[in-house]
Formats: sequence, C-alpha cells, structure tokens
Amino acid sequence: MLKKSAAALTGAGLVCLAAVGLHAADAPTGGWPGTRTFVVSGLFVGGGGDPNGCPAQSPGNFDVYLASLPADQRAELSPPGKRRELQKQMWQHFGFRRMALWPGDFGGRAEVAKLPPDVKLHQKPSPAQLRAIAELNGFPKGKGSLAYQDQTLAYSSCTNPYDFPELAKGYVPYQGKISTGMNLDGKAGASNFSSPDGEKGVDNQLWRAIGCYKQSQEMNDPAFQEKVMLSARSPTLVEVSGIDDPRNDPDVTVRVLTGADPLVRDGAGKPLARASYSLDSDPSLVNVAHGRIVDGVLTTDPFDLRFVFREQIIDNVRVVRGAVVRARFKPDGNLDGGIYGYTTLSSYYDMVEHMTQDGADNVGLSCVAVRQALDRYADGYRDRATGKYTAISSEWRFHAVPAFVTGIPPQAPLGAGTARAMR
Amino acid sequence: MSRTASRLLLAAAAGLAGLGIVSSSASFGGPGASAAGPTAQPSVRRLTESQYRAAIAEVFGPEIEVVGRFEPDMRVGGLAAVGASAVSITPAGFEQYDAIARHVAEQVFAPAARPRLVGCAPGGEDPAGAHCAAAFVGRVGLKLFRRPVALREVQAAVARTLAAAQRLGNFDAGLQATLVGMLTSPDFLFRIDLPAPRGPAGAIDGYSKASRLSFLLWNAPPDDALLDAAGKGLLDRPEDLRGQVDRMIASPKFVDGVRAFFDDFLQLRDMETLSKDGLIYPGFSTTVAAASREQVLRTITDLLVDHKGDYRDLFTTRRFAMTRALGPIYNVPVSGSGWSMYEFPEGDPRIGLLTQAGLLALHSHPGRTSPTLRGKSLRETVLCEQVPSPPANVNFAVVQDVNNATLKTTRQRLEAHLDDEECASCHKATDGLGLSLEQFDGAGQYRSTEHDEPIDTSGKFDKAAFAGVPALARLMHDSPKVSQCVVSTAWRYASGRDTGLADRPQLDRLNASFAAGGYRFIDLMRTIALDPQFYAMLRVPLTRPATTARADSKSQDRS
Repeated sequence: MLKKSAAALTGAGLVCLAAVGLHAADAPTGGWPGTRTFVVSGLFVGGGGDPNGCPAQSPGNFDVYLASLPADQRAELSPPGKRRELQKQMWQHFGFRRMALWPGDFGGRAEVAKLPPDVKLHQKPSPAQLRAIAELNGFPKGKGSLAYQDQTLAYSSCTNPYDFPELAKGYVPYQGKISTGMNLDGKAGASNFSSPDGEKGVDNQLWRAIGCYKQSQEMNDPAFQEKVMLSARSPTLVEVSGIDDPRNDPDVTVRVLTGADPLVRDGAGKPLARASYSLDSDPSLVNVAHGRIVDGVLTTDPFDLRFVFREQIIDNVRVVRGAVVRARFKPDGNLDGGIYGYTTLSSYYDMVEHMTQDGADNVGLSCVAVRQALDRYADGYRDRATGKYTAISSEWRFHAVPAFVTGIPPQAPLGAGTARAMR
Repeated sequence: MSRTASRLLLAAAAGLAGLGIVSSSASFGGPGASAAGPTAQPSVRRLTESQYRAAIAEVFGPEIEVVGRFEPDMRVGGLAAVGASAVSITPAGFEQYDAIARHVAEQVFAPAARPRLVGCAPGGEDPAGAHCAAAFVGRVGLKLFRRPVALREVQAAVARTLAAAQRLGNFDAGLQATLVGMLTSPDFLFRIDLPAPRGPAGAIDGYSKASRLSFLLWNAPPDDALLDAAGKGLLDRPEDLRGQVDRMIASPKFVDGVRAFFDDFLQLRDMETLSKDGLIYPGFSTTVAAASREQVLRTITDLLVDHKGDYRDLFTTRRFAMTRALGPIYNVPVSGSGWSMYEFPEGDPRIGLLTQAGLLALHSHPGRTSPTLRGKSLRETVLCEQVPSPPANVNFAVVQDVNNATLKTTRQRLEAHLDDEECASCHKATDGLGLSLEQFDGAGQYRSTEHDEPIDTSGKFDKAAFAGVPALARLMHDSPKVSQCVVSTAWRYASGRDTGLADRPQLDRLNASFAAGGYRFIDLMRTIALDPQFYAMLRVPLTRPATTARADSKSQDRS
C-alpha cells in the first residue's frame, strides 16, 4: 500500500493547487499519488435477470383507481388525454390534499395555504406550526406533511401510505429465481436469488419488492443508464487511494463522498471526465472502507454508507448498512459497478415521501404498495426491541468517470467515524 | 426615437463625411495647430474595441454598457496595433458606432446617472442651458478627445445643442444628440497625433504624448493626472515624464496594457471564434476556449508584472493560471470557482506557453492537430520569421487521413506528405517545431500515444537537436531570436507601424537594454515609454500615400 506522505499532506495548503511534486509519480495525470477518483453519473436500483420474473407489471395509482371504477367510467377516463381529469377525480375520491405554503410554482398549480401569524414566508415551519397550518386549512386531524422540498403541505398516499391500503391492490413482487446482487450474509436460503453467473445466496430483496414496476425495469436497462444521469445535483464520488498496482493490490482505501457541485457534462451532455468537485460540508457524508483490487476489480470490506440522492424534487440521504462496493476499472478509465448492502427502510421511506403523490402518479408507482412491500421483504438489521427488520438487501448500480476531489486529501482524518448513528 | 431626432443626431456628428479617408484634420473642428514639416507624418490610429470600452469606462464609469458590434480589427505584420494605423471606418461600421454611441448616451442621460454624469441643467441665469452645454462639452470633450476642446468647437457644439433642443423641445435631447456626435467623431474614434506648437519639426504635442503613453501602458485613454501633466507641458521634461511612467506602471491598469500587448502579439482574439468537433473533443467548449485565452494572459501577467519576471521564462515556466473549467483539459484538480496559480512539477510535459491548451488548440484543426499550423505560428509570432503560404493545389489527402492503418501518427503522415519536394521545403521550417508538440491533441490535452503508437517529440531548432518539449522550451528560452522578436514586436506595437532598416539602431538599443536588464518586460515597456523616438512622428517622403500598409494574408497552410 502506498503510504507516501499523506499524513504530511494534511496541513494547510492541502487544497490541491499547491500540487508541486504531488503527482509526478502519476504524471501527466493530476491528483494525489496512487489515487484514482471517480464521479458517479447515475445510481440505479439494480436487480433482475429472469425474463419471467414478473408475471405482470405492478400497477400504479392510476391503474388501481381505474380498475375500481365501473366500466363506463373506466372507459371514459382511460385515454391518456384524460389524465388530468382522472387525477383530479382520484384525488377527490381519496381526499388527497396539496397546498403551497406560499405563492410559487411547486410542480404545478396549487392552492396557497392560509398561514398562522407566526409562520414566516419561505421559512420551514416547525412541527407545531405545521400542525397549526394543517388545522387552519382543513386537513384531516393530525395529517399533513411537508413535501416538494418543504414548499408544500400534503396529505396523500405517499405521505400517509397506511391510510390508503386499497391502492396496493394488484401489486406484483419480482418472483424470478435469478437476480444480480451480492450474497451479503454468506448464506443461501429460500428467499435468496442466484446471480446470472450462478452465484448462490444473492441478497437483493429490494428488487423483489419493486422489480416489477415499469419504472424499475426501465431504469435497470443498461442503455437507459448510459443516457440518464441521476443525482446530478450532488453526485456521489468514489475515491480509491493507496494504489500500488491498479490491477492487483490487496490494500487500498476507498472513500465514498458527496459532491457539493453539480455533475459537469461535456458538449454531448455526457459526464465530463477529469472535472473537479468540492465536497459537501457534512462530515457524516464521508464514508471510508478498506478494499482490495483483484484482476482490476475493486471490492471493499463491508461498511456503513451514507450518500445523498438529489435529483429534481428529491433531496434524500440514503443509508446502506454493511455496504460493499464492488466495481471494475475499465480500460477507458471509467469505473462501473455497484454498492451492495442493506438500505435502511427509513431512508427509503423518506425518498418515497419526497417523491410526492404527483410524482408517483406520473411514473406509475404506488407508494402504498412499495411501502408494504418494503415492510414485508426487509431482511437486515433486526431491531431487537421490535423484532422487525430495519433494512432491506439491495444493489445500487453505478457508472462513474474519472474526476478530482478538491479540498480534502485522501486518507485524511475524518470528521465522523463509522460509529455514527444511522437512520 | 423619432426620425427627426435621428436626423439631428446624425447631423450632430459633424464632419463625418470624410471618415472614409482618414487624415490628420480633426473633423470635430480641431484646435487649428500649425502644420508639421513636410516629411513628418502624424499617426492616426482607430481605437480598438477594448480601447473604446476602456475610454467609455474612463469617461462615464464602468457601469455604462457598451453594446454592439465593432468594425473588425485588421492585422498588419501580425499586429492589430499596426493595422489600426491603416484602417478607416466603413459606412456599415459607422452605423454600428452610431448605434453604440446612442446607447451610451441614453445611459448617460438616464435619470439615475444624469446628475453625476451631466451635472447641470438649464435654469436661473442659464435659461436655455448654453452654459451647461458648454461646460459639458468642455469637460467630456477633454476626456473623449484626449485634448482640450477649442473654444470655437465648444461654441459650435453649444449652437448645435440649442438648435436641436429647440427643435425637439427638450434640452437633454439636444445635449444627448451632441454627445452622440462626439462619440462618433473621428476625434474620439481615432487617436490622432497633433504636432507640437513649438519645438523641432516632427514633435508631437503633450496631449498626443499622453495618449501614446496611456494606450501603450494601459490600453486606455489618459486619466486626469496625465492630461493635467500634458496640459502643463510636464511630459516634455524627462524627470516628469519618468515620474508619470513610473506612476502608470505601478497602477493596476498596467496589467491591462500588458494583456492588450500579448493579446495582440499572440493573436489570442482568434480564440473567440475557436470551436472543436464535439465528438472528437467533447471536453472542449466555448467556456474552455474563453478560459484558455484568459489563462495565457493571466500566466503572462503573473510572471511579467506580478513577479517582474524575465520574458524568456514564459517558455519554461511551470506556473500556469488555472480555473475549474480548464481542469479536465489539463487533467488536474482545481479547487474554488475563481482563478489561481497551479505549479506543474518537474518532469511534467506541461512547460511554458507553448504547452498551454489555448495556443495548442488555436493552432490546430477542429478535429486533429496540425504540426504545420503550430510550427508556422511559432515561427511567425514568437520568432518573427516569415513562412510563405502554400500553393493552392496541394494534395493533403495523406495528412488528413487520420485513420490511416499504416501511417498511425501525424509525424508518419506528414513525412509521407513530404515526399513531395515542393512541400518539403516549407514544411522543414514549420513541422520540426510543431511535431514536438504532438503529445498535445487538437484541444490541448496530453496524450502519449496516437493510435497506440508512441509519439516521437524529437526535433531540431536552429540546428540544435532536442528531445521533447522541455528541451525545446529551454532552447527557445535561450534563443536570442525569441527576445529580439518581442522587442521588435513591442516597438511596432508602440509605434503603430512596421519597422524598416531605419529602425535598426533603435531596435539595437532596445535589445541591448532589454538584455542588460535581465529581459524584464516591465523594463522594456518603461524604456520604450521614455524613449524620445516613441514620441516622434514618422518621417516619410512627401510622395508616400497616407495608407500604404498591406493587410496580412489570411491564407494559411491547411496541412
């Protein structure tokens, strides 16, 4: 392992511009010696591999609601041109509410809420203020959550999924025997998959839960992943340091970091290689693991991982416990692979809430069914007090291109250790 | 604006009919100084775009926007500064200047700016505003024309202002029309030397000296202190002149002057329109092009001004100005959103200006490198040599076949092209230098191989063999041609004309002084600014036409 002078490099002037002599060993590539950094251009839920794994597609909210209507109404509201009318009727039927806290365009027209005198415009209300706003505006008692980047007050199947169980009707789990992923617990049981390569005991219950949604299947397509960048507002960075031999090195350090700058794209709209990123100032987003490279494949030891998913209206910290990063250094300089581990239910629920009812309606998801499925298929980190699992095995597939991280040298002392509290 | 007002504005731009042929007569009226001797020709130079902008900022403040297209500069002998002595203004160009002037004038007379920039209004003892107009014309005219406005010019301008005000029923509209006239006057748009009222034939007056000095050192018109010194005749006294020069070099505006010189010398303005094939160089963009130009200029001023450095070190410096947009091109990390200095380590292929992405990309094709363009540029710009243009019937098929399975590298393809003896004669001069830069692709990014073949960067420079860019950089650093070239270019830039045999003694003196002072560029500029020859009119035979300079040919070798 390259020990180099990392410790000596942690003083003032670490900021990369004092780079004299730091990267001669790797010249003409800049950056720290023995270090390769990548910016992740997209993180997608991975899984599947059995073409017959979904006997049918899991229905979205519109599908479920339409199926509940008499035939004549269903025929009238089914055409795509009737989508707005369908949504209006469905929202009225279920009593969904959505109010803007102040004037503005928050994903569509919304009635502006009346505010108590102590609530200031454009300032996030306290929980007590939130209850007061909900009451003042006629929300069901005790209901109403902030949504759409805390700009709206909502009551829907995404904020309160257990209130609308009928929207889980028709849900279909992934029933194939094969799925990508990783054997996280070293066991091979009935609930596990086999990998397409034949590996037994693959743990990927998140795919079982959501693998039959149209959106999951579209996003799991490599061609789609090549074109679409996700979490581009705060991309995830993977830094591998201490590399002596890029093909085989038994001892490297891996940091998974969150960028503070948006993903930089090239003239063709693809992620631009070798761009520089500064880091999110939250020290809990610095994740460190020991790893090894075997035949050009990087694998870390399990570690607890927090990363940010910030895309469109979603601003969500995801937590993956017992995470393993496994990825291949490609000849073109890129890094492709996945993060395998137990995604905590609370962080995933948070993402579902951020999605909003509008978002779920439009992409064909049922927040209710997803929530129920996560509860049902969760398989990791049992809470001793409740006896319930708190996390679900998962695969987060990623593509990454070379990048630079500025401001913090590799292997620098961390602001937070792995013992930090996990959501 | 009404058609009547438009006609009045145009009418206010008095004397413009003669703009197509520039002469030394000041069309706003001129102070009526006596004519110079028959062999002394005053210099008349059109303001460049950057000088125009600087002038507006100097007179009215930086918040006044200058919006519009300018007449393109013309290079003569590689310099727009020399071309500025040879250009006039076309009718279409005048329309542009007129539009820009109107926009400037509107801002000056806008309610928020008027109290500060106009400063008076009709009323009280000045019911029609004649005194106000006279004060405005005198004050603003001094700054715009870079000389005092003669009494008869002021009187004529006041008369036009009042007539226009009466016609338009508004004093401000009349005075605004007068300002447009001043902004479209040759006295503003051209830097016109005026002969000294006393002294030897061929000497220019103090205000003309002030202009030469300020445009050389600041690329901007004289400030109040310099105009004041000119008015008092202090610029004729060596010790006072030295004081002014030292003050100007110490000013932050000196950086602007150095930037303007190198922008012209290295022809960096061409980078404004530089584009690359997005499929071949996806990392190159207009943002990168603009940053690359800025990088060259910042690297230069960091070394030559901030560190008072040796000009020759520009070829060996490892200290590059850097900004985040350029990080991917150089494959280096860049923190922060602004500019800072990045030091490449010993052994890194990046060394000196020759390896900066901007110059490498500028002298390449949109989708591939060009050792010929790169070599030609070095020969002509940095070494002040002449490279002939290629004949029209050259067959470039071999060179352009970048996917040739046998000839994998550019060097191999060029060598095949040189089997033609006619081509070889010129390529010998250019390609040796250009091929040494082949480790940088058409966007200026480093590469060690081309189609998996290692790139050979060896070559010869003035009979000295070298291996790799660092060795070439050292040879150029030590070459007398390089330092002599910047001296002759700086002299041509300062004087606004090409040099001839008669300039040889002058250049010899400058070269000796430059070398003795350790090749400090600041000292070169100071020496020129203090040189009496810098303030002399060009002495020419009486039969010589007013504008004989020939524009550079645009044709370039396409290989």
